[in-house]
Amino acid sequence: MRRALREYNFDWMLYSTYDAASKLMAGTEKEYAHTLRYIPYFRGMIDAVLSTGEPGLSFVRTCAEYLKNIVTARERGRKVAITSFCFSPVIFYAMDITPVCLEVMSVFLTFTYRRGSAEFLDFCNEAGFTETSCSSQRGSLGAYLAGIGVDIDMVVTDTPGVCDTNANAFAFAAEWLGRPFFQLDMPPLLKGERYDRYHRDDYRALVSFLEAQTGTKLRAERLAAVLGELRKQDGLIAELEEMGRIVPSPLPPAFTLMNYAARFLFAGMKPCTDMLQSMVNAARENAARGASGLAGGAERLRGFFCYIDHYTYNMRMWRMAEDLGVCLQGNILSRNWSIDAPHVRENHMEDSAYSIDMTDLDSMIDSVAIMNSRMPMIKSIRGPFDAPDMWLEDTLSLARMYSADFVVYSGTPGCRNTWGMVKPFARETEKAGFPTHIMYSDAFDDRVQSWEATRARFEEFLRVRRLLV
Amino acid sequence: MNGRLIEAAETLNNEFVRQWKEDGGRVVGYTCSYAPDEVFHAAGILPYRIRGYGAQETTIGDTYFGPFICSLPKCMLQLAGGGAFDFLDGVVIVPGCDSMRRLDDCWRKAGEDMAGVVPPFFFHFAVPHKFADYTVNWFEGEIRRLIEAVERHFDVRITVEALRVAIAAYNRGRVLLEELERMRRLPEPPIAGAEALSVVIAGSAMPRDAYNDLLEECILDLRAKTRCLQGRRRLMLVGSASDDTALVRFLEGDRALVVADNLCFGARFHNDRVDDGVLDPVRALAERYLRRSDCPRMYGDYRRRLEILTDAIQSASVEGVILQNIRFCDLHGAENGLFERDLEARGIPCMRIEREYGPLVETGRLKMRLDAFLERIDGKRRTA
Repeated sequence: MRRALREYNFDWMLYSTYDAASKLMAGTEKEYAHTLRYIPYFRGMIDAVLSTGEPGLSFVRTCAEYLKNIVTARERGRKVAITSFCFSPVIFYAMDITPVCLEVMSVFLTFTYRRGSAEFLDFCNEAGFTETSCSSQRGSLGAYLAGIGVDIDMVVTDTPGVCDTNANAFAFAAEWLGRPFFQLDMPPLLKGERYDRYHRDDYRALVSFLEAQTGTKLRAERLAAVLGELRKQDGLIAELEEMGRIVPSPLPPAFTLMNYAARFLFAGMKPCTDMLQSMVNAARENAARGASGLAGGAERLRGFFCYIDHYTYNMRMWRMAEDLGVCLQGNILSRNWSIDAPHVRENHMEDSAYSIDMTDLDSMIDSVAIMNSRMPMIKSIRGPFDAPDMWLEDTLSLARMYSADFVVYSGTPGCRNTWGMVKPFARETEKAGFPTHIMYSDAFDDRVQSWEATRARFEEFLRVRRLLV
Repeated sequence: MNGRLIEAAETLNNEFVRQWKEDGGRVVGYTCSYAPDEVFHAAGILPYRIRGYGAQETTIGDTYFGPFICSLPKCMLQLAGGGAFDFLDGVVIVPGCDSMRRLDDCWRKAGEDMAGVVPPFFFHFAVPHKFADYTVNWFEGEIRRLIEAVERHFDVRITVEALRVAIAAYNRGRVLLEELERMRRLPEPPIAGAEALSVVIAGSAMPRDAYNDLLEECILDLRAKTRCLQGRRRLMLVGSASDDTALVRFLEGDRALVVADNLCFGARFHNDRVDDGVLDPVRALAERYLRRSDCPRMYGDYRRRLEILTDAIQSASVEGVILQNIRFCDLHGAENGLFERDLEARGIPCMRIEREYGPLVETGRLKMRLDAFLERIDGKRRTA
């Protein structure tokens, strides 16, 4: 890692950037436009998000607040846990633990800097981690391994049984940093008494672990407060998902990202609720006018990303969607498995979903355990892809529900769990009538395939399949 | 050295399998050492560890798997697609890692394109990633699910008594393998690493009782051996699944000797027993198989694995450790990074290599690095 990069505290660097970004709209329009000239590799992202109005501003503020929590964790006496996007942070917030979600931090980097996360990715390799492992964790993990981020107290993940490279990154980090490690383990099926019991037993072991690390007991009223907020958020997400079915969709492309980012950052917390509420308000206005959420106003195609998005700098994937008039119908990350979610009701998947029972502490812990087992990727990439409740079933039901014109796979070369069978998977989605494009890029590392090449191949797919003529 | 054991290790459809089938026996293949052989033994079925050994290309594997996947399951699928495992009456896929987990999907999909590729019994057998009372409970349930499926499909009964007999047979094998390990670690070992690996692998490809008898003979022969191997650099081989005896032979050459290993096809899983005093043999199997967290798939247990390595290094007087991983095997690859850090800090020379599974296509590169590594060991000898 370059010495110059080591001079900056990683979390402070990101915090100061997003904190400044959250104040950009405070000045005049002219001042705003002038400022963008000085941030050539960030302005696309800022403009894409802030152009959505209040939701975008709320999103940037939320990011800044999340990062502020990290940089001030120590002075506030909080324990810090590094964790994964697919691990619901509600339990951390209920126990006053500050989560540092590695994948989210990696995206902050790739969105913000043209150099992306390359130096941190490579530092992990210098530390002994494999270059073939997933870039989503490595992108920011390198900073913590290098000792230029906040001190980590514990490492918690829930991807064993779902994603080796993810779980392995956390196990490696724990060993390298010499910190306590806890894993929630996922069996290959989702439903049934045996599986529910396993999830619940495992989650109780997690609670014991967190109590041991913090020296405090999980309190029912704290968990109830967080889960009460989560219920509100589930309701708002359900409304957003429902509005996404309207043609043209009233949701701007950036809303897919903002939807899942809000939950990864602050599920069960007020900033997430406020942000979702502002998104709902904006979408309702568009829907009432019959307007598309696309800036150009014309929805030419509806695309469903069956895995994750592409996080190149300046949010160029979302801007491409705007350019081409493609309405993004979300991806595996933007799906919420609350029992009230429209896709759950539409496809009669109630027994695959979760509900929150707030009767007492036990019932709340059980609810969170089941909810966590329905987190993105955790729910549907655990077993054979064509088994009930798994990736193919979810993809097809969502693509149909949202009237998608095509399906795109975007991931990282580290995604062993999906690259292992994406070819037969794509064959099935094609059979079901959805032209399917496999991106060979790395969603977190433009060095694998440049965004320009990725975009060219994507547009070629649209042309060859006569989707966009 | 018993030629029948070598043949069993180096021929997929070996003489024991052929004879078993001729006698009307059934064979079930499995993909990972976390599958309890004893269940099949108790059912009168020959358990057979599926390998990728001998695959010369991965055209079939590449048709179904994506590009960023370990070449071991690709080679397995290649062989299956080419008919090399046609003798199997069933397959148990164990999700030892993500690449192996996806062999389930890809093999079944290949079966849609190629008739007869998928055996009539096809079972996904899950294994938790940690050892705790509730994970053992769950795993015990998974073994019972396997037992029920085997009983139903093959119309057999797996009794408690038969499980006890199977446990005794496999425990006897483990005792013998431990003795083989002890002999490998002698100052002048009577057996080279490549041969030792063959002997161990043979046990996963032939009936256990016959194997135990041959293994016992082999050990007696080794004890009687007067010309032992001397003066070579003593290496330990660690990391990704490796059943390729040619790789070990290549590493040993005429200057080195692999006196210990920590490989899942090798010595890793033999130095413990299933507790035959436990009332319920299924519980005993669950405890034994899950407790063996020697594979990095069992996250968070690195320190114990480091101690296992350190003990082996000391008892075998290892002079250098080869930490290898198949490309895209992040579990072993990352753990090798930690091993390298910690073993080097203890003064143990390490060589970390990434390779492809299968035919030795990278011998030039490996040879150059190996020579340099042996020179380093020589230098250490000179200054000792």
